[in-house]
Amino acid sequence: MISTLLSLFFKLSAFSLLAFGGINALLPVLYDLSVNQEHWINGQTFSDYFAIAQAAPGPNLMTVTLIGWNVGGVLGATIATLAISWPSSIMIYFLQRTILNMQDKEKQQAIQFAAGALAVGLVLSAAWQIALQINHSLTAYALTIGTIAIVFFTRWHPLYLIAIGALLGVLGFI
Amino acid sequence: MSGFGGVLPWARRTIVEQEKWLTAEEFSAMLGICQIVPGPNIVNLGVCVGSRFAGVPGAFAAVLGLMLGPVALLLVIAVLYEHYSYMSIVQGMLRGVSAVGVGLIASTGFKMLRTELKYPPMLAVIFLVLIAAIYFHLGLGWVVLLASPLAILLAWKKVKK
Repeated sequence: MISTLLSLFFKLSAFSLLAFGGINALLPVLYDLSVNQEHWINGQTFSDYFAIAQAAPGPNLMTVTLIGWNVGGVLGATIATLAISWPSSIMIYFLQRTILNMQDKEKQQAIQFAAGALAVGLVLSAAWQIALQINHSLTAYALTIGTIAIVFFTRWHPLYLIAIGALLGVLGFI
Repeated sequence: MSGFGGVLPWARRTIVEQEKWLTAEEFSAMLGICQIVPGPNIVNLGVCVGSRFAGVPGAFAAVLGLMLGPVALLLVIAVLYEHYSYMSIVQGMLRGVSAVGVGLIASTGFKMLRTELKYPPMLAVIFLVLIAAIYFHLGLGWVVLLASPLAILLAWKKVKK
């Protein structure tokens, strides 16, 4: 048990510094680790954890928390959440200060523009890759595309969309 | 605590559209830094926004505030999931929710894309990232390494414009 928890801590800590583009971008790697390599959970459970992390109030990194919970209960959940967060938190704290304290305002702005553009690309490609992993039917894809359209053309709270998705799922459409 | 559907769409809504703490471009840029630095971007964003207003304590407060409530509730849901995940209704519900969840992540990306349209040459960077990640399946570290020089070059031109 102790060795599993240690492995959970160290592997996720390492991922923290590999997670360019955030947890969503990390999902394929996370899937590979927890399902294929360590056999902590199976593929279906992984998909379900993604859904729960989306539906529950809270950050997307909740998928990681749930994997930790599956491995070692409350302690596992805490360890997993801390492990994925601490290295990057320290890094961003100092990097953000460095960037904000820069004397050359043009250089500072350029870094921010560059980072912003990269983020757009990373978020979009992550969404694409997750869709391929999570959606198994045409109706699921239709729901994903419908969600994008609704977010784009209305100001509905995401919670309504989650509820609609849940309802369509309960009725057996997805 | 009201971060349903992942905190990112909600955070953008609150910080930019409602409270107007940051402009859309500042948010995009800050999120950009938080996403370029590896790690869970909402924790990073918490550290960024929190420390901007109140240093290290602000960073801790923001991250704990974002995490404690949701984690507690999540564990309750996890217990319920253990008991009811065999039901086909629950399975269908989770399929529906995950399809919407993917859509929410994508629409956050598209909203950020709209900001980039103000300087169209920058779209080349986004295109490069998409090709490298989706078509060539490069690891995320490589994608960033590959796209950074072009991003910095175009960003510099955008500043000088």
